[in-house]
Amino acid sequence: MLLEISHLTKSFGSFTAVDDLSFSVKEGEVYGFLGQNGAGKSTTIRVILSLIRPTKGSINIFGMSIEKEREKILQQVGAVVEKPDLYRYMTGYENLNVFARLSNKNISKAEVMKCLEMVGLDKRAKDPVRVYSQGMKQRLGIAVALVHNPSLIILDEPTNGLDPQGIADIRNLILMLSKEQKKTVLVSSHLLTEMEQVADSMVIINKGKKLVEGRVNELLNPDKVRLEIITDNNALVKSLLANSGWAKGLRNSPDQKVLVDTTAEAVPLLAKYLVENNIGISSLRSMNSLEAYFLSLTSGNEIE
Amino acid sequence: MRLSSIVYIELYKIFRKPRTYIAFGAIAAIVGLIQLGFYADGESYMKFGMQSLSDSFDVNGNIMNGYLMAFIILQTLLVHVPLLIALVAGDMISGEANQGTLRLLLTKPVSRANLITGKFIASSIYTIVLLLWMAVWALAISILIFGADDMLIMKSDMVTQILASDVMWRYVAAFVFAALAMLAVSALSFFLSIFAENSIGPIMATMSIIIVFTILNTLDLPIFNMVKPYLFTSHMLGWKGFFDVTVNENNEQITGSVENLPAVLLSAGVLFLHIIGFLFASILVFKRKDILS
Repeated sequence: MLLEISHLTKSFGSFTAVDDLSFSVKEGEVYGFLGQNGAGKSTTIRVILSLIRPTKGSINIFGMSIEKEREKILQQVGAVVEKPDLYRYMTGYENLNVFARLSNKNISKAEVMKCLEMVGLDKRAKDPVRVYSQGMKQRLGIAVALVHNPSLIILDEPTNGLDPQGIADIRNLILMLSKEQKKTVLVSSHLLTEMEQVADSMVIINKGKKLVEGRVNELLNPDKVRLEIITDNNALVKSLLANSGWAKGLRNSPDQKVLVDTTAEAVPLLAKYLVENNIGISSLRSMNSLEAYFLSLTSGNEIE
Repeated sequence: MRLSSIVYIELYKIFRKPRTYIAFGAIAAIVGLIQLGFYADGESYMKFGMQSLSDSFDVNGNIMNGYLMAFIILQTLLVHVPLLIALVAGDMISGEANQGTLRLLLTKPVSRANLITGKFIASSIYTIVLLLWMAVWALAISILIFGADDMLIMKSDMVTQILASDVMWRYVAAFVFAALAMLAVSALSFFLSIFAENSIGPIMATMSIIIVFTILNTLDLPIFNMVKPYLFTSHMLGWKGFFDVTVNENNEQITGSVENLPAVLLSAGVLFLHIIGFLFASILVFKRKDILS
């Protein structure tokens, strides 16, 4: 394992931001770190990068403890934590050059320019950062993370504040880093559909606790679906299903809708069952995306 | 990572920031104004100042010379320079925290102790460069405008005359001492900047501490007298000691002498200890600090 987090806890006074969190990232994979805003993702990333000290637990990167071998590890890590803030009074090139020098490697001017080219900022290299758009700053931040050619790249919410084109650019960049350059990428986000498109594995956390970890294709089992049904008599539908073979899949839901966990093949059967019982169906929506999965986990209605 | 590289990067950042040049501009403007004022109306000022002496002594030569000008300027400016120094030193960590660049810096393989030491050295170099700038304006340009001659310093109960040939080394020593005093201010401001996430706080706090300590110095109360020797502000004006000359039994000035050298050296020592103390405190606090900005 390239990155191993074991029983990590971080408390600020009586507030526990990260609670006994464990997960591991394999070499060469894009690992999605998912959670709603305030779930503890950025705190975890800050602990991984030794920006804040853990209350409990341990973090090993490249087989070394971050607490004991911080500088050695960080030579091989590139990271952007939350929004990348840079020196506004310097140009893009100067910013990147400053951070390249801090990387403890001899990085030539050509390499700095190549890195700017990789994120599409080579033509704006001489412009001061204060005139950069949010997307350009984000890309320059990623260039700062990449400039010393690290093995592990940690990106905290890299698509925050970007327009659809910017989001697509970052997604393509992550895929390129993983597939072409064989980098290991840990990327956090609350934009779950984005993660669905780039991550090989993922962990989902909520209120600092791990909800689930695994391969994305396994977690997104296409056979399992959640049906959101809206009918002319939801109360009757809930009662009908509770007293039938569908009872096992019935989930708690507000009066406005009925939620049923089932398999993809069973959907027509359920629809037929409702029609046969004279239920007027206004809407029947099947959710099987990561987003539905995530929402179901974080709302406490877990898919079985 | 080598400390020299960090110092280079930090100096590059300091001198790329527009606010850095406020202090240089302010010193040039204030010194220039004082020089202009004395150039235009200095004679009447000196006549008034020398009134009591002229009754008993026959004073000849260029009294209002560059050396005296430099002394007057130093006396006036060194009270205000701490604010200009705090502008940069107080921004060294808090400014990075405010911009959000501190967390990006610390994702790089730089030890926290080295980063703090590098930043501290860079802000100290800035302080020294600022004092050199002040020395150029206050001394070199004053000598160019007003010329050089023996220096007469009027105090409340005496007049000291220092031979022109005996003055320059005293200014060098005075500027070295002033550098120590300003480095103590810089170190305090730097230390305070670790706790803040914007530079206004450390700048205001530095000035407040200097003002409070200076007030304590002026109050002649036993409770305050006990702590005065330990306050760095009590020693900041120690540079004046280099212009107190020892006289022999014939009341003649001894060239190259300093009347109370042990007191001057003690003050320098106290300032030096403050600088080292603030640096180590900065390293200790920063090494344990959670970077939440």
